[in-house]
Amino acid sequence: MSKHLYKYLRTEVFPTPFCSGCGHGILMGAILRAIDELGYDMDGMLFVSGIGCGAWIPSPHFAADTLHVTHGRPVAFATGAKLFKPSLKVVVISGDGDIASIGGNHLIHAARRDIDLTIICANNGIYGMTGGQVAASTPLGMRTSTTPDGNRERPFDLCKLVEAAGGTYVSRYSVHQVKPLIRSIQRGLEHTGLSFIEVLSPCPTQFGRRNVSGTAFEMLQTLKEDCVSRQKAETMGSEELKYKIVTGEFVTS
Amino acid sequence: MIKQVRICGFGGQGIVLAGVILGHAGILDGKYAAQSSSYGAEARGSACKSEVVISDGWIDYPHVLKADILIAMSQPAYNKYCCDVVPEHGVIFHDEELVTPNPQIALSHFPVPATQRALQIFDNRLVANTVLLAAVVSVTGIVTPDSLKLALDKTLDGRHLEANKKAVDVGFQLGSIVKKH
Amino acid sequence: MGYRKIRGVTPPGQYFLQGDEACAEGAVAAGCRFFAGYPITPASEVMEHIVRRFKDCDGVFVQMEDEIGSIAAMIGASWAGAKPMTSTSGPGLSLMMENIGYAAMTETPLVIVDIQRAGPSTGQATRPGSGDMLQVKYGSHGDYEIIALSPWSVQEIYDMTIRAFNLAERFRVPVFVLSDEGVGHLRENVTVEQEVTVFERDKAPGQPPFHTDEPGGVPPMPCFGDGEKLLVTGSTHDPFGYRKTQVSEVHERLVSRLVGKIRNRADEIVDTDSYFLDDGPDVLLVAYGITARAALSAAKVLRDEGQKVGLLRLRTIWPFPERVVVESAQKCKEVVVPELNQGQICREIERLLDRDVISLPQTNGETMKPTKIIEFVRERAVTQP
Repeated sequence: MSKHLYKYLRTEVFPTPFCSGCGHGILMGAILRAIDELGYDMDGMLFVSGIGCGAWIPSPHFAADTLHVTHGRPVAFATGAKLFKPSLKVVVISGDGDIASIGGNHLIHAARRDIDLTIICANNGIYGMTGGQVAASTPLGMRTSTTPDGNRERPFDLCKLVEAAGGTYVSRYSVHQVKPLIRSIQRGLEHTGLSFIEVLSPCPTQFGRRNVSGTAFEMLQTLKEDCVSRQKAETMGSEELKYKIVTGEFVTS
Repeated sequence: MIKQVRICGFGGQGIVLAGVILGHAGILDGKYAAQSSSYGAEARGSACKSEVVISDGWIDYPHVLKADILIAMSQPAYNKYCCDVVPEHGVIFHDEELVTPNPQIALSHFPVPATQRALQIFDNRLVANTVLLAAVVSVTGIVTPDSLKLALDKTLDGRHLEANKKAVDVGFQLGSIVKKH
Repeated sequence: MGYRKIRGVTPPGQYFLQGDEACAEGAVAAGCRFFAGYPITPASEVMEHIVRRFKDCDGVFVQMEDEIGSIAAMIGASWAGAKPMTSTSGPGLSLMMENIGYAAMTETPLVIVDIQRAGPSTGQATRPGSGDMLQVKYGSHGDYEIIALSPWSVQEIYDMTIRAFNLAERFRVPVFVLSDEGVGHLRENVTVEQEVTVFERDKAPGQPPFHTDEPGGVPPMPCFGDGEKLLVTGSTHDPFGYRKTQVSEVHERLVSRLVGKIRNRADEIVDTDSYFLDDGPDVLLVAYGITARAALSAAKVLRDEGQKVGLLRLRTIWPFPERVVVESAQKCKEVVVPELNQGQICREIERLLDRDVISLPQTNGETMKPTKIIEFVRERAVTQP
């Protein structure tokens, strides 16, 4: 982490608990860079997170008000804080299992309400902290500790879900696309209404070692190869896109 | 003095509302009142009962044990509650059109053509509850007529208030001519 | 900060209100300006009434997607400075349980109104019961303490809702207005006073929000946006909120303090009421909620018959009024507990007394009639002279 960002962090809790090769550290840096470039005062911000590795990005690392809550419920906790104190800039940062599986109902209803929250979903496609179980975002065929023969259930397309539910800023980037990711986080923070940013973040410890993707570096490489921009995807056929992940901004209303 | 009133009929007839207005009139008379109701999960059509206890002082048990006054707006409700009336001085008021009294019940019965008049005068059977309640108040004096009208003011608004105020007058008039059976 | 008198929102006077409505009025009077709820019979009227009242006092209302969301939103709002409330009944309460433990762990003030209906499960939605007496205390996992108050009239649900907010703020703990359909849907006289005594949070900037050296003490509670950089977590935490999930002493100290701050102050919280206890009655009735009114009515009838019957009414359920129950029972030969469940509070009393306690349970979806208690006591007097 760049030294100029240390002022946003409780450096006394370093090192972070993230495994080597985990994408969450890159995401943490991207969020702080976005805040730094926008010139936000962290004293006016509240970071809400649930349970899981992604939830540890803000809590306890961010030197701001943080609310680390029960599994799946950060969006609902954030809803209450924001509604009562609209002057707070409220950001939810949590994992895919937390936000989209156990907390899926709160996610779609926050989108329906178009409440002024920024939700950053650190999607590693697996339950990392609890030992690598299959998630609602695990791609088809992937091996996890509860799908040793490969996942047979289709994953959610989180961006489509939030878009359909009424979110008014929706985007997806991978942690290797750092610059567009920072720009997107800034847009999300500046957006009035519900903004949802899905961030693909590799989990070498739980996902990588069970699947072909191998080492942390190889996982990042694979992620890079799998991601195509929205613009490029529009020129590709459905067969070509079958194993690709489309990234970019999907809703900017 | 403590008086127990039970109003019964079908959901949608304004049984609960009649109880609320009667209880409210009681407190406007400076008394204690307790009103409760029992009903099914359906909003319309199921059996419905509303109870009002009016007393000069604090009411220990807020529900009706034996009614001093039973007001019945449906035959099944009448059949269910006609035996739960104080034998010595209990009285039963019933909608003349909707309830046929059981000849074996040796209590004073007051038939009130509430639904018939509501349809005839207002073309609206929904005010029958108020017509019947006003007749009961007129005959028994359980609350003062002024408090009954004031309770309507405090409970209802807009078009419902106007229709019900007229219905009260019709009920008072019926009360003055209704004959005991 | 602490206790102070404020002018109420509702004009003083005499009202004819339903219990649910009076509860909402009490909340507004106590300074509640945030309500998150989900519809459920027989508690929805609390929510509907507060929506109307919030228009006059700039309160924030949100109807959440479920009861889990309701209590989550309340906790978020509480840390943002609100005095939050929700109202529910058994099924909704069951859904809230995990976050009730979270609120206890994070010492978040909030008021939960439980208008109990006949359970288990969906049971009889429109009918009264007292089946949640133990659930409010023990329903979430781990060791914690909460406060629960039990009103028996519409006036009392108004007064107790105000007290519930004051206790929640004073002790930083979830407080339950543990009522029932009998009171929630009852309409009665309510006197609203001009002035209301309310408790305001002590913020104490810079002080640890999760520790105090004072035994049984309650730490100050700053709120989000105050620049305190708060760390709030449901995991085991140190005085400033840093997670310490692997340190056994921290966990032991935290849990002991959460429990101790209520148990050690039980005398300040516990509230009871008694009738005909002076002559050391043969039969002591212990009752609460709507059932206590049948018990009082029965006691009066039995006294008129020459039977020595007294009543101890529990206005506080949790912390349990242990001392008063033990002292009252010492003067009496028999203890009878009429309640709308299969003996939940009877068991709690049995735990305290070194003798049999007689349960008079009723789970038929009706309020208990005085005649049931009268006949029970008469029969025992005959069979056990």
